[in-house]
Amino acid sequence: MKMLFVFEKSRALRFIGHLDLQRTMQRALRRSGLPASYSQGFNPHIILSFAAPLSVGIPGEREIAEIPLALPVSPADFMHRMEKALPKGLVAVEAIPLPDDAPAAMARVFAAQYAFSKREGEEGGFDALVAALPAFLARESIPYIRKTKSGERPDDLRPGIFNLLVKNGELVATLALNQQLTAKPDQLLISLAQTAGIPVPGCDIRRLQLLDDHFAPLEKP
Amino acid sequence: MNQQTNQRLEALLERVQKPARYVGGEMNAVVKEWQAGVIPFAFCFPDSYEVAMSHLGMKIIYDVVNRQPDMLCERVMMPWVDMLAGMKAENIPLFSLENRKPLSSFAAVGFTLQYEMSYTNILHMLDMGGIAVKNEERDEGAPIVLAGGPCACNPEPLHPFIDAFLMGDGEESVVEVLRAIAKGREKGLSRVDILRELAAIPGTYVPRFYEASYHEDGTLKDFQPTDKAASLPIIKRVVLDLDEAAYPEDIPVPFTEIVHDRIVLEVMRGCTRGCRFCQAGMLYRPVRERSAERLFKLAQKLVDATGYEEMSLSSLSTGDYTQLNELVRGLNERFADQRVSLSLPSLRIDGHLQEALTDTAKVKKSGLTFAPEAGTQRLRDVINKGVTEEDLLRTATEAFSQGYSQIKLYFMMGLPTETDEDLLGIADLARKVAGCYYAIPKGQRARGLKIVVSCAVFVPKPFTPFQWAAQDTMEEVRRKQKLLREALNIKNLTFNWHDSELSFLEACFARGDRRMADVLYEAYLRGCMLDGWTEHFKLDAWLAAFEAAGVDPAFYANRLRGKDELFPWELLDIGVTKAFLWRENERAHEAQTTPDCREYCLGCGLTRFEGACAK
Repeated sequence: MKMLFVFEKSRALRFIGHLDLQRTMQRALRRSGLPASYSQGFNPHIILSFAAPLSVGIPGEREIAEIPLALPVSPADFMHRMEKALPKGLVAVEAIPLPDDAPAAMARVFAAQYAFSKREGEEGGFDALVAALPAFLARESIPYIRKTKSGERPDDLRPGIFNLLVKNGELVATLALNQQLTAKPDQLLISLAQTAGIPVPGCDIRRLQLLDDHFAPLEKP
Repeated sequence: MNQQTNQRLEALLERVQKPARYVGGEMNAVVKEWQAGVIPFAFCFPDSYEVAMSHLGMKIIYDVVNRQPDMLCERVMMPWVDMLAGMKAENIPLFSLENRKPLSSFAAVGFTLQYEMSYTNILHMLDMGGIAVKNEERDEGAPIVLAGGPCACNPEPLHPFIDAFLMGDGEESVVEVLRAIAKGREKGLSRVDILRELAAIPGTYVPRFYEASYHEDGTLKDFQPTDKAASLPIIKRVVLDLDEAAYPEDIPVPFTEIVHDRIVLEVMRGCTRGCRFCQAGMLYRPVRERSAERLFKLAQKLVDATGYEEMSLSSLSTGDYTQLNELVRGLNERFADQRVSLSLPSLRIDGHLQEALTDTAKVKKSGLTFAPEAGTQRLRDVINKGVTEEDLLRTATEAFSQGYSQIKLYFMMGLPTETDEDLLGIADLARKVAGCYYAIPKGQRARGLKIVVSCAVFVPKPFTPFQWAAQDTMEEVRRKQKLLREALNIKNLTFNWHDSELSFLEACFARGDRRMADVLYEAYLRGCMLDGWTEHFKLDAWLAAFEAAGVDPAFYANRLRGKDELFPWELLDIGVTKAFLWRENERAHEAQTTPDCREYCLGCGLTRFEGACAK
């Protein structure tokens, strides 16, 4: 079996990079005593995969890891052990058992939902962003220069924005996150500020959840 | 740290490299509440997070202090240059990882002195932490600034900056010292009276209560206490029973990769081999072993608490640990299922390692490291490194036939009496080691031979038989490095050498007196910091600092001392006597070796410490 593990990466740990998070999760599994699966070879390591890496600096409320287990474990037992084994800034949220052959979470991710909240002292900028929303969403294309490992190329942000609205004083965006199309939250902020005609205001970004191609939470297909 | 400062810090963290260094929150980090009746102590490591977190001493002190219900210990490290610049620009004081408290808010702060080239960092850390750099300029309520660690054995270059030095094994005295500070504060004692209380604690050196005078030729004339509370000599503190001594059962597990990212089991403290260049071998006497029984228990707790996948055995000479085979076999048996691999660094090549090697190979093949230190038998006899070429080649052959293919060889250049022939002997030895590999038939040896030869520049250190020696000049070191580089142009061999300038400066501080403090201060004013990192080391600024302070570096580094010269570090009694060291110095010049004192007592002086020496 494998366990789909939903966890929170708190704001305090938002600077922990993806590789560091992976190592931390592996060590937590070792501390937990859970029957994790190991890779073959010279330096065996615990097998686990994350549905979607999180950029450094962004916390996540419902992040997802998939952990193959060598023996069956109940979700309650899994949660109990992980709660004890995780460092304070990583919080166990939910464990969902899946058959070994269930499609990989990584392959099912289609979009992600982000929240942008205003920072003290930067309220003016944030309000200007909100005011610019209708004009921004009315644009047919939002060109920008995409920086990749191989260089820079022009791209369009607009098709990757599935939804963008104000909710409880925050901007909430559903952005594409799949092999064909990806829109990054920091780029959304930059482009939105451009439309508003203001410098990019300080803003706290967090990832709320990962979604499948029906826009349902990945853990509840 | 107030809320506004904290906000500026949070914003700064988004702009710096590797912000994970500055946020704490690691598994097993101890975050205690600040409340009345709890003494806050900051353990300061004057180097980067990655270096600091690899240091066993910090983990021991962190554990010892945090175990006290009336104390807490938080970690403070040297920020990297980008963070440092950002903190200055944003007016953010140097803070602790656990509760983000400014350094100035602790009752005491303690620096560990692992390496002379971290001294400028200490001054910067004090300043950034809101503590006056010079001890005389500190306010009544400012934290008491402590220091300990191996380099504290010659404290004088730091005398105007540190309030009190803790000599010897820190876990033996740190709690006592912190409690004395707390009591003094409670009673409303003045700062100087608190320091008097500290001076009365064995092993504590409070530099402001002493005075030094000098001869016309610049050598030390006299050194005397100026205060009733002070005495001479300061006798180092010793943990006598390692099984009884505190040892952490959990340690913070960093998120980000550090230099030594594993569990470290200290199997033994001290070494009786008596290598004549080795300061640790003299400083950490007597030899004390931790029992295999105790180590098994500690290992189990540490594995369970950390989830580490690797464990190493640590000591000055692990090959001499009497229960080594039993320990290695026992650890492998216990932890093979949990997939914890064992590495054995710093092995001397004359131990009975066959069995241990076989066992280690079962779990994981890491590189092998040997330290012949010198290229010819004559010079190895001079330094009393009781290793023969035959030993090395036999062990290398054994290792290669066990499946090892990588080998590291450590040497030094500039040792007393060294000739070019000795240097060329290094290349000779390296060739023979390669020969051992090729002598094994192809199918039976691992592929990819890799020999790494590292050659450090010899730095004469206090409390060694070579404390009288002159270091080679930088020009001579460069000539020798060139010679060796050309001789070591060998297939599958990498040659690393140390920076001659850095080693020169290290030599000045290692045997420096109070006047070196002026140089340090001038260098600090000129922005010198992180000197141990080649990319940040500024020789020109250092030379300007020497000039401004009116101090000649060659006096400290390149001068041969006379037998009866009074040394600044003689304020400390480490157990080993000057007479013994001189005897060893004379034997060195006759290329006479001295056997391990476990064979018979050589009268090094340790027997004066009650219960310290087995014989």
